[in-house]
Amino acid sequence: MNFLVIYLLLLKATLSSFSGLAALPIVRNDFVVKRHLLTDHQLNTALVVGRSTPGPKGLYLVAVGYFVAGVPGAIAGWLAVVTPAVLVIPLLLFARRKIDDPRVKRALRAIVVASAGVSLSATLPLSIDALRNAPLCVIAALSLVLLIFTTWDTLWVMLGAALTSLALVLAGWMSLPV
Amino acid sequence: MAKPSVRELSGVFLRIGNFTFGGGSATTAALQREIVERRRWYDTLQFGLCYALARVTPGTNLFAFSAASGWLLRGWQGALAALLVVSIPSCVLVCVVTVGFDSWSRNRFFEAAIAGALAASVGALLASFWLLVRPYLDRPYIFQTMLILAGSIALSFLAGWSPIVVLLLAGIAGFFWKEPTK
Repeated sequence: MNFLVIYLLLLKATLSSFSGLAALPIVRNDFVVKRHLLTDHQLNTALVVGRSTPGPKGLYLVAVGYFVAGVPGAIAGWLAVVTPAVLVIPLLLFARRKIDDPRVKRALRAIVVASAGVSLSATLPLSIDALRNAPLCVIAALSLVLLIFTTWDTLWVMLGAALTSLALVLAGWMSLPV
Repeated sequence: MAKPSVRELSGVFLRIGNFTFGGGSATTAALQREIVERRRWYDTLQFGLCYALARVTPGTNLFAFSAASGWLLRGWQGALAALLVVSIPSCVLVCVVTVGFDSWSRNRFFEAAIAGALAASVGALLASFWLLVRPYLDRPYIFQTMLILAGSIALSFLAGWSPIVVLLLAGIAGFFWKEPTK
């Protein structure tokens, strides 16, 4: 399939969403239902890959592009996920000119606080999925404490958590979540 | 506040952006901790500016946040560098994992390590929540903060409203709602 068409279809999906997997219905409609370029199984696999790798979950679109057209499709997917980010620059230029306006400061503060609330709401389903046994709950709690009360690098906390989990499974002290 | 070189900036976005599990929010939280708390490259207000604008930009919030932060710290070069280093390695990894997904997903070691990293990402998300809200829990903001927080949780979690609608409503409320003087 044409590189430009894949890029434009994926771009349409990313431009019409503002977080995570919100573009999923559009992707499914365009690639699975209308054009039959992807199966539901491949789309599911792409979603799991997006969740299992570092970075944003929205990168499942790169896997979608890969399934549709190999490496060129993945490049189209990458371009589609990074293109909308450029839109933040004119917004930033505008907002910086107004940053001394107390109303703009208040609006930004309200958006940051509301974002924290929205993120907390999104954390709950992730927690239910990720914390399926006591050792994983302890790992999450320890990570929280380390990230708030120490200046340890997040990378080392993540790596430590992964290695601890691996060690616990190998020692037979933890079973893998089903 | 000393601004970083493009190289330093790229190093941080490369490291945090490509090694943090748990999605864009967890990665943004890790970047916030690194840039605001540890390195003090910019302050809470500038972080709030990048974060808020990234949330209302279509597409992947983390990439918009990276572009905004890079631009604020080092102009176009910074924006481009941050966007490229935060996205390319992760995308390459997505391709590699996609290719070998069937065998990787049945690998016990891989699964165990991912389970631990995802558990840590829950901790990172909760830490992020605290770091985001903490600056606004002082007087005279506390009442507004608590109300906006409760409202956003109720609308997004209980009522199932789209995040963008909740954030825009919060922005409008903040714009018109003057806080009481100290």
